[in-house]
Amino acid sequence: MAGGRGGQSYDAVIIGGGHNGLTCAAYLARAGLRVVVLERRHILGGATVTEEIVPGFKFSVASYVVSLLRPEIIRELDLVRHGLAVLPVDGTLTPTDDGGYLWRVDDHGVTLREIRRHSKRDAEAYEEYALLMAEMARFVKPLLGESAPSLGGLRDPRGLLGLAGFAQRFAALPEPQQTAFIQLLTMSSADFVSQWFEYEPLRATLSASGIIGTFLSPRTPGSAYILLHHYMGEVDGEYRAWGLPVGGTGAISGAIAAAAVEAGAELRTSAPVARITTRGGRAAGVVLESGEEIRASVVVSNADVRTTLGTLLEPGTLSAQQDAEMRGYKFRGSSGKVNFALSGLPTFSCLPAGTTDVYRGMVSISPSIDYLERAYDDAVDGRFSRSPYIDVGFPSAIDPSVAPPGKHVMACFVQYAPYELAEGTWDDQREAFGDTVLATIARYAPDLPGLIVGRQVLTPIDIERTFGLTEGNIFQGELLLEQLFSGRPMLGSGYATPVRDLWLCGSSTHPGGAISGAPGRNAAVAVLRARRGSPPRVAEAAA
Amino acid sequence: MKYDAIVIGAGHNGLVCAAYLGRAGLRTLVLEAREAVGGMADLALTVGRLSPTVARELGLRRHGLRLVQPEVRVFAPQPDGRGLTLWGDAALTARELADNPLVEGEDADRYATVDGELRAIARSLGPVLSRIPPDFSWTTTRAAMRAAAGVARSDERLWHFMPMAVRDLLEGWFESDALRAAVAARGLLYTALGPRMPGTSGVLLTDAASSNSGLAGQSVFARGGPAAVSAALADAVREDGGEIRTAARVIHVKRTGDRTTGVVLEGGEEVDANVVVSNLDPKTTLLDLLEPEAIGPRLSWRAANIRQAGATASVTFTLRALPVFPAAYDDGRRLRGRILIAPSTRYLDLAMRPSRYGASAEQPLLEMTIPSLVDESQLPSGAGQVARVVAQATAFEADAKAIGDVVTRTLDQFAPGFAELVTDRKVFTPRDIQREYGAAGGHPMHAEVALDQWFEWRPMHGLGGYRMPLDGLYLCGSGAHPGGGVTGAPGRLAAARIVGDLKKGRLKVAA
Repeated sequence: MAGGRGGQSYDAVIIGGGHNGLTCAAYLARAGLRVVVLERRHILGGATVTEEIVPGFKFSVASYVVSLLRPEIIRELDLVRHGLAVLPVDGTLTPTDDGGYLWRVDDHGVTLREIRRHSKRDAEAYEEYALLMAEMARFVKPLLGESAPSLGGLRDPRGLLGLAGFAQRFAALPEPQQTAFIQLLTMSSADFVSQWFEYEPLRATLSASGIIGTFLSPRTPGSAYILLHHYMGEVDGEYRAWGLPVGGTGAISGAIAAAAVEAGAELRTSAPVARITTRGGRAAGVVLESGEEIRASVVVSNADVRTTLGTLLEPGTLSAQQDAEMRGYKFRGSSGKVNFALSGLPTFSCLPAGTTDVYRGMVSISPSIDYLERAYDDAVDGRFSRSPYIDVGFPSAIDPSVAPPGKHVMACFVQYAPYELAEGTWDDQREAFGDTVLATIARYAPDLPGLIVGRQVLTPIDIERTFGLTEGNIFQGELLLEQLFSGRPMLGSGYATPVRDLWLCGSSTHPGGAISGAPGRNAAVAVLRARRGSPPRVAEAAA
Repeated sequence: MKYDAIVIGAGHNGLVCAAYLGRAGLRTLVLEAREAVGGMADLALTVGRLSPTVARELGLRRHGLRLVQPEVRVFAPQPDGRGLTLWGDAALTARELADNPLVEGEDADRYATVDGELRAIARSLGPVLSRIPPDFSWTTTRAAMRAAAGVARSDERLWHFMPMAVRDLLEGWFESDALRAAVAARGLLYTALGPRMPGTSGVLLTDAASSNSGLAGQSVFARGGPAAVSAALADAVREDGGEIRTAARVIHVKRTGDRTTGVVLEGGEEVDANVVVSNLDPKTTLLDLLEPEAIGPRLSWRAANIRQAGATASVTFTLRALPVFPAAYDDGRRLRGRILIAPSTRYLDLAMRPSRYGASAEQPLLEMTIPSLVDESQLPSGAGQVARVVAQATAFEADAKAIGDVVTRTLDQFAPGFAELVTDRKVFTPRDIQREYGAAGGHPMHAEVALDQWFEWRPMHGLGGYRMPLDGLYLCGSGAHPGGGVTGAPGRLAAARIVGDLKKGRLKVAA
């Protein structure tokens, strides 16, 4: 296609250089398309980014661990050759209200002994539960692919085929797994885990996986799905294993970007897109804020569905019905992130003196389900949790390259921090939020306040402003049942949009958020199929 | 004495099931622990969800049932004396809403359209509720394909709307919070769920589908109270040769191997039958009526995990005179339907919040009827009026007096002077409901009405088709699909399942 009016012309322009945009670009470029990625910020990666906020300290600013990155993407894009190295994160410590602790590690035998210290019954159930969840992760893995089973609507033959295939695989499961799958889709995470366990800190810590990034409480139905979502991950073939990329999560984006560049994609930073242009009802390219026009035969947006269709698209392009559906898609961010630069590692007073292994894992501030429920109620009341759930990690203890020698980085994921506050603004309350997180952890690690060199507080408004994630939702939209599978982002839409040649490739699409790359890869497959008029083999797209 | 079929419990679903079994020619005996038939249907404020199919097929009118529905459906007062009314006629409602200062934006104009939209979605749910759910525990590819085709044929909007939180559903429809709350409350009634909980939309849609109603819902009363429904059903049972014994508590289901052989009553009497149908809740049926060896450890564990914690209290007031709600002062007809204390979505959040902690609300969600306004036969001699109330959230352990006080105080805020009108009150907490009616957990719907206990997996995956794990044992109460409320639907579908099994030779009754 020839360039017009002085603008450059491409086969595909990708709005946003998040990890999914880069993944999509890499696959499209490998299929021979001329691709350009346009990133608003000065740095690539979107929410999968490492930045030196405090001099000498490299923060994985937003996303902080990796588990869900699809192994086929690592393989097909040869990410290891492009520099990706993932170190294991080992264990979860839960300090308890009575000054004790529960500390589970990857070594199963050690963990069983530890749980037995609190409940014999739970230790027995733990093995069964772990096996069941591994089976569930294996079962849902094919669902993460591009053909989400379509629920209802005979009009979509591929979706129907997906559904039939799914039904057949479901039929092959033994009853306990069938039951667990239904429950994971419909139940609350607290009810789900409480079927097996009685020890409150264990129940709370397990069910806390059901609230991460989501405005649901552990006793609210729907949270069990979030739990499952976090179990889908695998590192080197092992399910429910969390890893930390050397150099922070930005190293993942860096490796994918390198793969995209090698395949011929052009990556531009500080190139904010102002709007998507259309001609004859089809996407025709983009105009940058600088006024520069770029033409392309397809436009793929890594921005979320509301930003793409509601902000970047000319008003009036969608029908009233389509516009209403798009605006009905729910974001409601409810998470915050606080990154600390530390002069040393804090001491958790519940542990025996001299314990160091704990820093290689996570510390979960989740002493009881009631604690998590109260944290949720604060958010419902329009304020950040006075005693929040915090998932604390020490990336520098695993990967010393992210902090100066002897110094450390502490990453705190915080739930809940509602986007909408009942009173005041996040700009007024940012530091109070940071102080609350600090004070909450300091209850269990009293020496923490004296170790602080610097900190970065990300509230939902900061997540929205910095990364362009609407309402600060880290998954580009809530992972609610009606917003999953063929309902994500809108019923039956998949990666396509109501505008021809305009596609979505971010976490607003199936299978949703986290550093998985799946939406980016799936979108590339869908785009290529549409271009060729016939379904390409994935290997072909990857070749 | 040998019967073809025994129904344990003369709740309305047990009676419905027995009546259908009798019609199919089975010698049927209903055994009821209490002195009276009807079970928890007594607690129902309105009976507009009673299946018209059941009423017609069992000839309930002929058996004396008279239903009346006032034109008003819902009156929802505010604590400041304002309020809104939803009438059966959507156009009339819209006209009134247009002049109501509680109603903002385009809501009044949109009302009739949204009403039609809700009815359309509910209609597509209708077939799901009136059929035996498919078995999802397939083992063959063919069965899997059949189920997949069934799912593909369903209206895809159901998959969108059913899992939603009722608060989100209403936010998509209306701007006015008072109107949102008045409709959203229907997604919570009799449950332990809050308005932000996924699946509450499904509760509302189920209510709309089974009462063939729109945004306003129904306000159907039985002359003589809900007991009149049970009385008509009992008549229908007897007409077809069925026997009903009250004060006959079944304590055990007998079996030989995997086959049901009859029941044992308190006192030791045994009654034999090849078909035993339990109208009790699923937990009691599986864990109390059967010995653990009958169902094995896995099923015992699953049954123990059925969620049945009730969060509803029932309060009946005798009043000196009609309470005065300022916003209903102009037109007494407004009080003849359901009076709903659900002034805002925030109120609903706070009213239901305690249920997540096993506690009771300080400001509960209330639904009240004054049946004596519609049906004078329900007026005790000398009393001014009778008001019946359900209150949520109420903890299982709640103290009856405390709950009575909370409900009285709350009503006094919305109808100033209410407290002084009370001459008598009777409170049923969830614990009282359990004690009086035998429902484990005191849940008026037997098992929580939520997405994880719905359809094929109500009460649990693989047992959604009314067949219990012993040959010849069935479940016919609210703990089975399509769930609670005075519908008669589970009773009817259980009977259809039993009769079908007999025809297929899967089941035999004594010759």
